Amino acid sequence: MNLGQQFLNGLVLGHAYALVAIGWTVLLGVARLVNFGHGQMYMLGAFVTWFAISGLGLPYVLAIPVAIGAGILVGLVLQRVMLKATIDQNLVSIMIMTLGFGYVLHGAAALVFGSTGQILDTPLAQKELAFGDMWLTWQDIAIVVVAIVEFLVLKFVLDRTRIGRLVRMVAEDPKLAELAGVDIRRVYLAVFAFEGAAVAFAGAMVGPRTPILTSMGFEEVIMTFVVVVLGGIGSVFGSYVAGLALGLFTAFFGALISPAYTTAAAFAVLIAVLVLRPGGLAAGAR
Amino acid sequence: MSTGPSSVPAAASDGTRPGAPGGLPGSAAAPEVLQVAGLRVAYGGNNALDLERLSLRQGEVLGVVGANGAGKSTLVNAIAGWSRGTPRVSGAVRLDGVDVSALPAHRRARAGLLLVPEGKLVFGQMSVDENLTVPGDVHDAPGRHVYDREEVFELFPRLRERRGHLGSQLSGGERQMLGIGRALMLGPRVLMLDEPSIGLAPRLVSAVLETMRTLAGKGLTILLVEQNVRAAIEVVDRLVLLERGRVIVEGTASEMRDDPRIAEAYLGGGHG
Repeated sequence: MNLGQQFLNGLVLGHAYALVAIGWTVLLGVARLVNFGHGQMYMLGAFVTWFAISGLGLPYVLAIPVAIGAGILVGLVLQRVMLKATIDQNLVSIMIMTLGFGYVLHGAAALVFGSTGQILDTPLAQKELAFGDMWLTWQDIAIVVVAIVEFLVLKFVLDRTRIGRLVRMVAEDPKLAELAGVDIRRVYLAVFAFEGAAVAFAGAMVGPRTPILTSMGFEEVIMTFVVVVLGGIGSVFGSYVAGLALGLFTAFFGALISPAYTTAAAFAVLIAVLVLRPGGLAAGAR
Repeated sequence: MSTGPSSVPAAASDGTRPGAPGGLPGSAAAPEVLQVAGLRVAYGGNNALDLERLSLRQGEVLGVVGANGAGKSTLVNAIAGWSRGTPRVSGAVRLDGVDVSALPAHRRARAGLLLVPEGKLVFGQMSVDENLTVPGDVHDAPGRHVYDREEVFELFPRLRERRGHLGSQLSGGERQMLGIGRALMLGPRVLMLDEPSIGLAPRLVSAVLETMRTLAGKGLTILLVEQNVRAAIEVVDRLVLLERGRVIVEGTASEMRDDPRIAEAYLGGGHG
Protein backbone atom coordinates (compact mmCIF):
# COMPACT_ATOMS: atom_id res chain seq x y z
CA MET A 1 0.00 0.00 0.00
CA ASN A 2 1.42 3.30 -1.15
CA LEU A 3 -0.38 6.02 0.75
CA GLY A 4 1.46 8.79 -1.08
CA GLN A 5 0.23 7.44 -4.40
CA GLN A 6 -3.32 7.18 -3.05
CA PHE A 7 -3.08 10.78 -1.91
CA LEU A 8 -2.02 11.85 -5.40
CA ASN A 9 -4.80 9.79 -6.97
CA GLY A 10 -7.29 11.35 -4.60
CA LEU A 11 -6.04 14.83 -5.37
CA VAL A 12 -6.41 14.31 -9.11
CA LEU A 13 -9.77 12.56 -8.75
CA GLY A 14 -10.98 15.35 -6.47
CA HIS A 15 -10.09 18.04 -8.99
CA ALA A 16 -11.75 15.94 -11.69
CA TYR A 17 -14.95 15.77 -9.62
CA ALA A 18 -14.82 19.52 -9.01
CA LEU A 19 -14.25 20.19 -12.71
CA VAL A 20 -17.20 18.00 -13.69
CA ALA A 21 -19.43 19.59 -11.03
CA ILE A 22 -18.72 23.30 -11.60
CA GLY A 23 -21.43 23.84 -14.22
CA TRP A 24 -24.10 22.22 -12.11
CA THR A 25 -23.01 24.25 -9.10
CA VAL A 26 -23.74 27.45 -10.97
CA LEU A 27 -26.94 26.06 -12.48
CA LEU A 28 -28.18 25.04 -9.06
CA GLY A 29 -27.04 28.21 -7.35
CA VAL A 30 -28.44 30.66 -9.87
CA ALA A 31 -31.39 28.97 -11.50
CA ARG A 32 -32.27 26.53 -8.67
CA LEU A 33 -32.16 23.79 -11.24
CA VAL A 34 -31.05 20.20 -11.09
CA ASN A 35 -29.87 18.62 -14.32
CA PHE A 36 -29.88 14.84 -14.29
CA GLY A 37 -28.75 14.93 -17.93
CA HIS A 38 -25.44 16.32 -16.64
CA GLY A 39 -23.65 12.95 -16.85
CA GLN A 40 -24.66 12.40 -20.46
CA MET A 41 -23.54 15.92 -21.31
CA TYR A 42 -20.17 14.96 -19.84
CA MET A 43 -20.18 11.84 -22.02
CA LEU A 44 -20.99 13.94 -25.07
CA GLY A 45 -18.11 16.32 -24.31
CA ALA A 46 -15.70 13.39 -24.17
CA PHE A 47 -17.03 11.86 -27.40
CA VAL A 48 -17.06 15.10 -29.36
CA THR A 49 -13.43 15.59 -28.31
CA TRP A 50 -12.66 12.03 -29.39
CA PHE A 51 -14.41 12.50 -32.72
CA ALA A 52 -12.69 15.82 -33.38
CA ILE A 53 -9.33 14.14 -32.87
CA SER A 54 -9.82 10.75 -34.53
CA GLY A 55 -12.53 11.69 -37.04
CA LEU A 56 -11.59 15.22 -38.04
CA GLY A 57 -7.89 14.91 -37.33
CA LEU A 58 -7.78 18.00 -35.13
CA PRO A 59 -5.10 18.36 -32.46
CA TYR A 60 -6.29 18.00 -28.83
CA VAL A 61 -6.07 21.72 -28.08
CA LEU A 62 -8.45 22.47 -30.96
CA ALA A 63 -10.72 19.53 -30.18
CA ILE A 64 -11.43 21.03 -26.74
CA PRO A 65 -13.13 24.21 -28.08
CA VAL A 66 -15.14 22.04 -30.50
CA ALA A 67 -16.41 20.02 -27.52
CA ILE A 68 -17.16 23.22 -25.59
CA GLY A 69 -19.10 24.55 -28.58
CA ALA A 70 -21.15 21.36 -28.72
CA GLY A 71 -21.73 21.61 -24.97
CA ILE A 72 -23.00 25.19 -25.26
CA LEU A 73 -25.36 24.10 -28.03
CA VAL A 74 -26.76 21.27 -25.88
CA GLY A 75 -27.07 23.66 -22.92
CA LEU A 76 -29.05 26.14 -25.01
CA VAL A 77 -31.36 23.42 -26.34
CA LEU A 78 -31.94 22.25 -22.77
CA GLN A 79 -32.66 25.83 -21.72
CA ARG A 80 -35.24 26.36 -24.45
CA VAL A 81 -36.99 23.16 -23.48
CA MET A 82 -36.91 23.97 -19.78
CA LEU A 83 -37.46 27.73 -19.69
CA LYS A 84 -41.04 27.66 -18.54
CA ALA A 85 -40.40 24.99 -15.93
CA THR A 86 -37.37 27.02 -14.74
CA ILE A 87 -39.30 30.23 -14.26
CA ASP A 88 -42.15 28.37 -12.59
CA GLN A 89 -39.64 26.40 -10.50
CA ASN A 90 -41.51 23.20 -11.24
CA LEU A 91 -38.90 20.90 -9.74
CA VAL A 92 -40.54 17.56 -10.37
CA SER A 93 -40.97 18.33 -14.08
CA ILE A 94 -37.40 19.57 -14.25
CA MET A 95 -36.06 16.38 -12.70
CA ILE A 96 -37.98 14.10 -15.05
CA MET A 97 -37.28 16.25 -18.10
CA THR A 98 -33.53 16.39 -17.50
CA LEU A 99 -33.41 12.67 -16.76
CA GLY A 100 -35.19 12.05 -20.07
CA PHE A 101 -32.97 14.53 -21.84
CA GLY A 102 -29.95 12.54 -20.65
CA TYR A 103 -31.38 9.35 -22.11
CA VAL A 104 -32.09 11.10 -25.42
CA LEU A 105 -28.46 12.26 -25.49
CA HIS A 106 -27.30 8.74 -24.67
CA GLY A 107 -29.37 7.28 -27.54
CA ALA A 108 -28.27 9.95 -29.99
CA ALA A 109 -24.61 9.49 -29.05
CA ALA A 110 -24.83 5.70 -29.44
CA LEU A 111 -26.38 6.23 -32.87
CA VAL A 112 -23.63 8.62 -33.99
CA PHE A 113 -20.57 7.28 -32.20
CA GLY A 114 -21.50 3.59 -31.81
CA SER A 115 -21.70 1.72 -28.54
CA THR A 116 -18.19 0.33 -28.40
CA GLY A 117 -15.69 1.77 -25.95
CA GLN A 118 -13.11 4.24 -27.24
CA ILE A 119 -9.85 5.59 -25.94
CA LEU A 120 -9.67 9.37 -25.89
CA ASP A 121 -5.98 9.69 -26.44
CA THR A 122 -4.20 12.96 -25.81
CA PRO A 123 -0.52 13.87 -25.97
CA LEU A 124 -0.60 14.67 -22.24
CA ALA A 125 -2.12 11.34 -21.18
CA GLN A 126 0.90 9.41 -22.45
CA LYS A 127 3.54 11.39 -20.59
CA GLU A 128 4.15 10.38 -17.02
CA LEU A 129 5.84 12.19 -14.23
CA ALA A 130 7.38 10.16 -11.41
CA PHE A 131 8.53 11.18 -7.94
CA GLY A 132 10.23 8.18 -6.35
CA ASP A 133 7.65 5.41 -6.42
CA MET A 134 4.74 7.79 -7.06
CA TRP A 135 3.61 8.84 -10.51
CA LEU A 136 0.96 10.71 -12.41
CA THR A 137 0.40 11.79 -16.02
CA TRP A 138 0.62 15.30 -17.41
CA GLN A 139 -3.09 14.98 -18.16
CA ASP A 140 -3.62 14.60 -14.38
CA ILE A 141 -1.59 17.73 -13.76
CA ALA A 142 -3.55 19.58 -16.44
CA ILE A 143 -6.82 18.55 -14.74
CA VAL A 144 -5.64 19.94 -11.39
CA VAL A 145 -4.40 23.18 -12.94
CA VAL A 146 -7.46 23.91 -15.11
CA ALA A 147 -9.81 23.03 -12.23
CA ILE A 148 -8.08 25.52 -9.94
CA VAL A 149 -7.98 28.21 -12.64
CA GLU A 150 -11.62 27.67 -13.57
CA PHE A 151 -12.78 27.93 -9.96
CA LEU A 152 -10.70 31.06 -9.35
CA VAL A 153 -12.00 32.74 -12.51
CA LEU A 154 -15.59 31.81 -11.67
CA LYS A 155 -15.24 33.11 -8.12
CA PHE A 156 -13.70 36.33 -9.41
CA VAL A 157 -16.46 36.87 -11.97
CA LEU A 158 -19.25 36.20 -9.46
CA ASP A 159 -17.76 38.35 -6.71
CA ARG A 160 -16.08 41.19 -8.51
CA THR A 161 -17.79 41.91 -11.80
CA ARG A 162 -21.06 43.61 -12.67
CA ILE A 163 -22.24 40.53 -14.57
CA GLY A 164 -21.47 38.36 -11.53
CA ARG A 165 -23.47 40.61 -9.23
CA LEU A 166 -26.45 40.64 -11.56
CA VAL A 167 -26.27 36.84 -11.75
CA ARG A 168 -26.23 36.67 -7.94
CA MET A 169 -29.25 38.96 -7.80
CA VAL A 170 -31.14 36.48 -9.99
CA ALA A 171 -29.89 33.64 -7.78
CA GLU A 172 -31.20 35.28 -4.61
CA ASP A 173 -34.47 36.75 -5.83
CA PRO A 174 -35.30 36.65 -9.56
CA LYS A 175 -38.46 38.74 -9.14
CA LEU A 176 -36.60 41.53 -7.37
CA ALA A 177 -33.83 41.31 -10.00
CA GLU A 178 -36.43 42.14 -12.67
CA LEU A 179 -37.08 45.44 -10.88
CA ALA A 180 -33.33 46.10 -11.01
CA GLY A 181 -33.65 45.95 -14.79
CA VAL A 182 -32.16 42.48 -15.12
CA ASP A 183 -33.41 40.33 -17.98
CA ILE A 184 -33.63 37.07 -16.04
CA ARG A 185 -34.23 35.02 -19.21
CA ARG A 186 -30.85 36.12 -20.53
CA VAL A 187 -29.22 35.21 -17.24
CA TYR A 188 -30.80 31.75 -17.34
CA LEU A 189 -29.62 31.38 -20.94
CA ALA A 190 -26.07 32.26 -19.94
CA VAL A 191 -26.15 29.89 -16.98
CA PHE A 192 -27.30 26.98 -19.16
CA ALA A 193 -24.64 27.83 -21.74
CA PHE A 194 -22.04 27.81 -18.97
CA GLU A 195 -23.31 24.49 -17.64
CA GLY A 196 -23.04 22.99 -21.15
CA ALA A 197 -19.61 24.48 -21.80
CA ALA A 198 -18.18 23.54 -18.41
CA VAL A 199 -19.31 19.93 -18.40
CA ALA A 200 -18.17 19.40 -22.02
CA PHE A 201 -14.81 20.92 -21.09
CA ALA A 202 -14.66 18.51 -18.14
CA GLY A 203 -15.42 15.64 -20.53
CA ALA A 204 -12.54 16.71 -22.75
CA MET A 205 -10.17 16.98 -19.77
CA VAL A 206 -11.22 14.06 -17.58
CA GLY A 207 -12.37 11.68 -20.35
CA PRO A 208 -8.81 10.62 -21.28
CA ARG A 209 -8.33 9.08 -17.81
CA THR A 210 -10.56 6.09 -18.60
CA PRO A 211 -11.98 4.37 -21.68
CA ILE A 212 -15.09 6.24 -22.82
CA LEU A 213 -18.48 4.69 -23.55
CA THR A 214 -21.70 6.31 -24.75
CA SER A 215 -23.43 4.54 -21.85
CA MET A 216 -21.35 6.37 -19.25
CA GLY A 217 -22.65 9.34 -17.29
CA PHE A 218 -24.43 7.76 -14.34
CA GLU A 219 -21.34 7.67 -12.15
CA GLU A 220 -20.54 11.28 -13.09
CA VAL A 221 -24.02 12.62 -12.39
CA ILE A 222 -24.11 10.85 -9.03
CA MET A 223 -20.70 12.13 -7.96
CA THR A 224 -21.60 15.63 -9.16
CA PHE A 225 -24.80 15.49 -7.14
CA VAL A 226 -22.83 14.52 -4.05
CA VAL A 227 -20.30 17.33 -4.66
CA VAL A 228 -22.86 20.12 -5.16
CA VAL A 229 -24.98 19.06 -2.21
CA LEU A 230 -22.00 18.45 0.06
CA GLY A 231 -20.49 21.78 -0.94
CA GLY A 232 -23.66 23.66 -0.08
CA ILE A 233 -26.16 24.41 -2.81
CA GLY A 234 -24.66 26.88 -5.25
CA SER A 235 -21.48 27.51 -3.27
CA VAL A 236 -18.55 27.74 -5.67
CA PHE A 237 -15.85 27.43 -3.06
CA GLY A 238 -17.82 24.70 -1.27
CA SER A 239 -18.00 22.64 -4.45
CA TYR A 240 -14.26 22.82 -4.89
CA VAL A 241 -13.64 21.68 -1.32
CA ALA A 242 -16.31 19.00 -1.54
CA GLY A 243 -14.90 17.71 -4.84
CA LEU A 244 -11.46 17.48 -3.35
CA ALA A 245 -12.73 15.79 -0.18
CA LEU A 246 -14.78 13.31 -2.18
CA GLY A 247 -11.78 12.51 -4.41
CA LEU A 248 -9.53 11.83 -1.44
CA PHE A 249 -12.24 9.85 0.29
CA THR A 250 -12.86 7.73 -2.83
CA ALA A 251 -9.15 7.06 -3.37
CA PHE A 252 -8.46 6.03 0.24
CA PHE A 253 -11.72 4.12 0.63
CA GLY A 254 -10.97 2.25 -2.60
CA ALA A 255 -7.42 1.44 -1.51
CA LEU A 256 -8.06 0.64 2.14
CA ILE A 257 -11.49 -1.01 2.02
CA SER A 258 -12.82 -1.83 -1.44
CA PRO A 259 -13.19 0.04 -4.72
CA ALA A 260 -16.49 -1.79 -5.30
CA TYR A 261 -18.35 0.20 -2.63
CA THR A 262 -17.00 3.72 -3.14
CA THR A 263 -20.21 5.10 -4.67
CA ALA A 264 -22.28 3.58 -1.87
CA ALA A 265 -19.84 4.97 0.69
CA ALA A 266 -19.95 8.42 -0.93
CA PHE A 267 -23.73 8.39 -0.53
CA ALA A 268 -23.42 7.29 3.09
CA VAL A 269 -21.15 10.30 3.71
CA LEU A 270 -23.61 12.58 1.90
CA ILE A 271 -26.52 11.39 4.01
CA ALA A 272 -24.50 11.73 7.20
CA VAL A 273 -23.46 15.27 6.30
CA LEU A 274 -26.98 16.27 5.37
CA VAL A 275 -28.29 15.00 8.69
CA LEU A 276 -25.58 16.79 10.66
CA ARG A 277 -25.22 19.93 8.52
CA PRO A 278 -28.28 20.37 6.30
CA GLY A 279 -26.74 23.33 4.46
CA GLY A 280 -23.73 21.31 3.31
CA LEU A 281 -20.15 21.52 4.51
CA ALA A 282 -19.67 25.11 3.42
CA ALA A 283 -23.04 26.38 4.62
CA GLY A 284 -22.91 30.12 4.79
CA ALA A 285 -19.90 30.49 2.51
CA ARG A 286 -20.30 31.25 -1.14
CA MET B 1 -29.88 61.95 6.58
CA SER B 2 -28.87 64.96 4.56
CA THR B 3 -31.16 65.94 1.75
CA GLY B 4 -30.08 69.55 1.50
CA PRO B 5 -29.35 71.29 -1.76
CA SER B 6 -25.61 70.82 -1.28
CA SER B 7 -26.03 67.09 -1.72
CA VAL B 8 -28.02 67.49 -4.91
CA PRO B 9 -26.28 66.10 -8.00
CA ALA B 10 -26.00 68.92 -10.50
CA ALA B 11 -27.29 67.00 -13.46
CA ALA B 12 -30.58 66.27 -11.77
CA SER B 13 -31.12 69.63 -10.13
CA ASP B 14 -32.88 71.31 -13.03
CA GLY B 15 -36.61 70.81 -13.00
CA THR B 16 -37.08 71.94 -16.58
CA ARG B 17 -34.62 69.87 -18.51
CA PRO B 18 -34.37 69.42 -22.24
CA GLY B 19 -37.05 67.12 -23.50
CA ALA B 20 -39.20 68.02 -20.55
CA PRO B 21 -40.68 71.35 -21.58
CA GLY B 22 -43.42 73.05 -19.67
CA GLY B 23 -43.84 75.12 -16.57
CA LEU B 24 -43.04 74.36 -12.99
CA PRO B 25 -42.65 70.76 -11.92
CA GLY B 26 -46.00 69.27 -11.06
CA SER B 27 -47.91 72.34 -12.17
CA ALA B 28 -50.86 72.08 -14.51
CA ALA B 29 -48.62 73.15 -17.40
CA ALA B 30 -46.07 70.38 -16.88
CA PRO B 31 -46.35 67.49 -19.33
CA GLU B 32 -48.05 64.29 -18.34
CA VAL B 33 -45.36 61.69 -17.83
CA LEU B 34 -47.43 58.69 -16.82
CA GLN B 35 -50.91 57.89 -18.03
CA VAL B 36 -52.93 54.88 -16.99
CA ALA B 37 -56.22 54.01 -18.67
CA GLY B 38 -58.70 51.21 -18.11
CA LEU B 39 -56.32 49.29 -15.87
CA ARG B 40 -57.91 46.10 -14.58
CA VAL B 41 -56.21 43.46 -12.45
CA ALA B 42 -57.72 40.19 -11.29
CA TYR B 43 -56.36 37.44 -9.09
CA GLY B 44 -58.18 34.22 -9.84
CA GLY B 45 -61.75 35.35 -10.34
CA ASN B 46 -61.52 38.36 -8.03
CA ASN B 47 -61.10 41.86 -9.35
CA ALA B 48 -58.38 43.58 -7.36
CA LEU B 49 -58.28 46.79 -9.35
CA ASP B 50 -60.54 48.64 -11.77
CA LEU B 51 -59.11 52.02 -12.61
CA GLU B 52 -60.59 54.25 -15.32
CA ARG B 53 -57.88 56.87 -15.52
CA LEU B 54 -54.88 58.12 -13.63
CA SER B 55 -52.14 60.47 -14.74
CA LEU B 56 -49.07 62.10 -13.27
CA ARG B 57 -47.41 65.30 -14.39
CA GLN B 58 -43.69 65.83 -14.42
CA GLY B 59 -42.31 66.63 -10.97
CA GLU B 60 -45.55 65.77 -9.25
CA VAL B 61 -45.87 63.64 -6.13
CA LEU B 62 -49.09 61.66 -6.20
CA GLY B 63 -50.14 59.83 -3.06
CA VAL B 64 -52.28 56.73 -3.26
CA VAL B 65 -53.95 55.89 0.02
CA GLY B 66 -56.50 53.39 1.17
CA ALA B 67 -57.07 50.56 3.58
CA ASN B 68 -55.36 47.19 3.44
CA GLY B 69 -56.51 45.30 0.36
CA ALA B 70 -57.79 48.42 -1.37
CA GLY B 71 -55.57 47.69 -4.37
CA LYS B 72 -52.72 50.15 -3.75
CA SER B 73 -49.89 47.65 -4.25
CA THR B 74 -51.81 46.02 -7.07
CA LEU B 75 -51.90 49.40 -8.81
CA VAL B 76 -48.17 50.14 -8.68
CA ASN B 77 -47.25 46.53 -9.45
CA ALA B 78 -49.49 46.57 -12.52
CA ILE B 79 -47.97 49.84 -13.70
CA ALA B 80 -44.50 48.28 -13.27
CA GLY B 81 -45.64 45.08 -15.02
CA TRP B 82 -44.51 43.15 -11.99
CA SER B 83 -45.94 40.81 -9.43
CA ARG B 84 -44.86 38.00 -7.16
CA GLY B 85 -48.15 36.31 -7.97
CA THR B 86 -49.84 35.62 -11.29
CA PRO B 87 -52.51 38.27 -11.82
CA ARG B 88 -54.38 38.92 -15.05
CA VAL B 89 -53.74 42.49 -16.09
CA SER B 90 -55.34 44.51 -18.86
CA GLY B 91 -55.35 48.17 -19.78
CA ALA B 92 -52.90 50.78 -21.01
CA VAL B 93 -49.87 52.24 -19.27
CA ARG B 94 -48.18 55.09 -21.15
CA LEU B 95 -44.82 56.51 -20.26
CA ASP B 96 -44.19 59.83 -22.03
CA GLY B 97 -46.95 58.87 -24.41
CA VAL B 98 -45.48 55.48 -25.29
CA ASP B 99 -47.58 52.44 -24.44
CA VAL B 100 -45.40 50.15 -22.31
CA SER B 101 -48.12 47.72 -21.27
CA ALA B 102 -46.71 44.94 -23.47
CA LEU B 103 -43.21 45.24 -21.95
CA PRO B 104 -41.97 42.88 -19.23
CA ALA B 105 -40.96 44.36 -15.87
CA HIS B 106 -37.23 44.65 -16.55
CA ARG B 107 -37.85 46.54 -19.79
CA ARG B 108 -40.19 48.97 -18.05
CA ALA B 109 -37.55 49.48 -15.36
CA ARG B 110 -34.97 50.29 -18.03
CA ALA B 111 -37.44 52.63 -19.69
CA GLY B 112 -37.53 54.62 -16.44
CA LEU B 113 -40.62 53.21 -14.78
CA LEU B 114 -39.17 52.20 -11.41
CA LEU B 115 -40.84 50.43 -8.53
CA VAL B 116 -39.46 50.11 -5.01
CA PRO B 117 -41.69 47.27 -3.82
CA GLU B 118 -43.18 46.60 -0.44
CA GLY B 119 -41.58 43.91 1.70
CA LYS B 120 -38.37 42.42 0.37
CA LEU B 121 -36.62 45.20 -1.52
CA VAL B 122 -32.90 44.48 -1.07
CA PHE B 123 -30.71 41.47 -1.78
CA GLY B 124 -29.96 40.20 1.72
CA GLN B 125 -26.93 38.11 0.79
CA MET B 126 -25.22 40.99 -1.01
CA SER B 127 -23.47 44.01 0.43
CA VAL B 128 -24.83 47.55 0.13
CA ASP B 129 -22.24 48.26 -2.57
CA GLU B 130 -23.21 45.13 -4.47
CA ASN B 131 -26.90 45.93 -4.10
CA LEU B 132 -26.19 49.19 -5.87
CA THR B 133 -25.54 47.42 -9.17
CA VAL B 134 -27.63 47.79 -12.30
CA PRO B 135 -27.14 46.59 -15.87
CA GLY B 136 -24.42 48.54 -17.64
CA ASP B 137 -26.48 49.72 -20.57
CA VAL B 138 -28.68 52.35 -18.91
CA HIS B 139 -27.72 55.92 -19.71
CA ASP B 140 -28.88 59.47 -19.15
CA ALA B 141 -31.66 60.60 -21.46
CA PRO B 142 -33.75 63.76 -21.70
CA GLY B 143 -35.68 64.01 -18.46
CA ARG B 144 -33.81 61.07 -16.94
CA HIS B 145 -30.69 61.13 -14.82
CA VAL B 146 -28.88 57.89 -14.12
CA TYR B 147 -27.35 58.21 -10.65
CA ASP B 148 -24.01 56.65 -9.96
CA ARG B 149 -23.14 55.06 -6.63
CA GLU B 150 -21.45 58.24 -5.37
CA GLU B 151 -24.57 60.31 -6.02
CA VAL B 152 -26.67 57.76 -4.14
CA PHE B 153 -24.24 58.04 -1.21
CA GLU B 154 -24.52 61.85 -1.34
CA LEU B 155 -28.29 61.54 -1.10
CA PHE B 156 -28.12 58.86 1.61
CA PRO B 157 -24.83 59.28 3.53
CA ARG B 158 -25.96 56.50 5.86
CA LEU B 159 -25.55 53.99 3.04
CA ARG B 160 -21.93 55.00 2.56
CA GLU B 161 -21.27 54.19 6.22
CA ARG B 162 -22.93 50.81 5.74
CA ARG B 163 -21.55 50.04 2.29
CA GLY B 164 -19.74 46.85 3.36
CA HIS B 165 -22.71 45.43 5.29
CA LEU B 166 -25.02 42.79 3.89
CA GLY B 167 -28.53 43.77 2.89
CA SER B 168 -29.87 41.43 5.56
CA GLN B 169 -28.04 43.42 8.26
CA LEU B 170 -29.73 46.71 7.41
CA SER B 171 -32.52 48.39 9.33
CA GLY B 172 -35.88 49.03 7.68
CA GLY B 173 -34.98 52.63 6.92
CA GLU B 174 -31.64 51.69 5.42
CA ARG B 175 -33.35 49.12 3.22
CA GLN B 176 -35.70 51.81 1.93
CA MET B 177 -32.75 54.04 1.14
CA LEU B 178 -31.01 51.17 -0.64
CA GLY B 179 -34.11 50.29 -2.65
CA ILE B 180 -34.58 53.93 -3.66
CA GLY B 181 -30.87 54.25 -4.40
CA ARG B 182 -30.88 51.31 -6.78
CA ALA B 183 -33.97 52.68 -8.52
CA LEU B 184 -32.21 56.05 -8.98
CA MET B 185 -29.29 54.24 -10.61
CA LEU B 186 -31.65 53.07 -13.35
CA GLY B 187 -32.52 56.66 -14.23
CA PRO B 188 -36.14 56.90 -13.15
CA ARG B 189 -38.66 58.94 -15.11
CA VAL B 190 -41.32 57.86 -12.64
CA LEU B 191 -40.46 56.49 -9.21
CA MET B 192 -43.09 54.40 -7.46
CA LEU B 193 -42.72 53.62 -3.77
CA ASP B 194 -44.89 51.03 -2.11
CA GLU B 195 -45.36 51.82 1.57
CA PRO B 196 -41.88 53.19 2.25
CA SER B 197 -42.85 54.15 5.79
CA ILE B 198 -43.94 50.70 6.89
CA GLY B 199 -42.18 49.65 10.08
CA LEU B 200 -40.11 52.83 10.26
CA ALA B 201 -39.70 55.11 13.28
CA PRO B 202 -41.58 58.43 12.83
CA ARG B 203 -38.31 60.35 12.47
CA LEU B 204 -37.26 58.09 9.57
CA VAL B 205 -40.68 58.30 7.96
CA SER B 206 -40.39 62.05 7.61
CA ALA B 207 -36.79 61.73 6.42
CA VAL B 208 -37.75 59.28 3.67
CA LEU B 209 -40.73 61.40 2.66
CA GLU B 210 -38.64 64.57 2.63
CA THR B 211 -36.27 62.84 0.24
CA MET B 212 -39.26 62.32 -2.05
CA ARG B 213 -39.89 66.06 -1.96
CA THR B 214 -36.24 66.74 -2.79
CA LEU B 215 -36.31 64.37 -5.74
CA ALA B 216 -39.59 65.78 -7.00
CA GLY B 217 -38.03 69.25 -6.80
CA LYS B 218 -35.49 68.05 -9.33
CA GLY B 219 -38.24 67.09 -11.75
CA LEU B 220 -38.74 63.47 -10.82
CA THR B 221 -42.31 62.21 -10.93
CA ILE B 222 -43.29 60.19 -7.90
CA LEU B 223 -46.14 57.85 -7.09
CA LEU B 224 -46.27 57.17 -3.40
CA VAL B 225 -48.38 54.39 -1.92
CA GLU B 226 -48.98 54.98 1.77
CA GLN B 227 -51.13 53.79 4.60
CA ASN B 228 -49.71 56.55 6.73
CA VAL B 229 -52.03 59.24 5.36
CA ARG B 230 -51.08 61.78 8.01
CA ALA B 231 -47.44 61.67 6.92
CA ALA B 232 -48.15 61.30 3.21
CA ILE B 233 -50.47 64.30 3.00
CA GLU B 234 -47.61 66.55 4.10
CA VAL B 235 -45.48 65.75 1.05
CA VAL B 236 -47.85 64.93 -1.80
CA ASP B 237 -49.28 67.35 -4.37
CA ARG B 238 -52.34 65.25 -5.03
CA LEU B 239 -53.99 62.36 -3.27
CA VAL B 240 -56.07 59.46 -4.54
CA LEU B 241 -58.17 57.38 -2.18
CA LEU B 242 -58.69 53.79 -3.27
CA GLU B 243 -61.36 51.50 -1.93
CA ARG B 244 -61.91 47.97 -3.15
CA GLY B 245 -59.85 48.61 -6.26
CA ARG B 246 -61.64 51.80 -7.28
CA VAL B 247 -60.86 55.48 -6.94
CA ILE B 248 -63.28 56.93 -4.39
CA VAL B 249 -62.00 60.47 -4.28
CA GLU B 250 -59.15 62.40 -5.85
CA GLY B 251 -57.85 65.90 -5.29
CA THR B 252 -55.02 68.18 -4.23
CA ALA B 253 -53.50 67.65 -0.82
CA SER B 254 -55.21 70.70 0.65
CA GLU B 255 -58.61 69.73 -0.76
CA MET B 256 -58.20 66.25 0.58
CA ARG B 257 -57.18 67.40 4.00
CA ASP B 258 -60.66 68.90 4.32
CA ASP B 259 -62.47 66.01 2.67
CA PRO B 260 -64.67 64.31 5.22
CA ARG B 261 -64.00 60.85 3.75
CA ILE B 262 -60.27 61.29 4.32
CA ALA B 263 -60.59 63.13 7.60
CA GLU B 264 -63.02 60.63 9.04
CA ALA B 265 -61.20 57.53 8.06
CA TYR B 266 -57.55 58.50 8.27
CA LEU B 267 -56.88 61.80 9.99
CA GLY B 268 -59.46 61.99 12.75
CA GLY B 269 -58.89 58.66 14.43
CA GLY B 270 -55.77 57.06 15.75
CA HIS B 271 -54.58 55.89 12.37
CA GLY B 272 -51.61 58.28 12.31
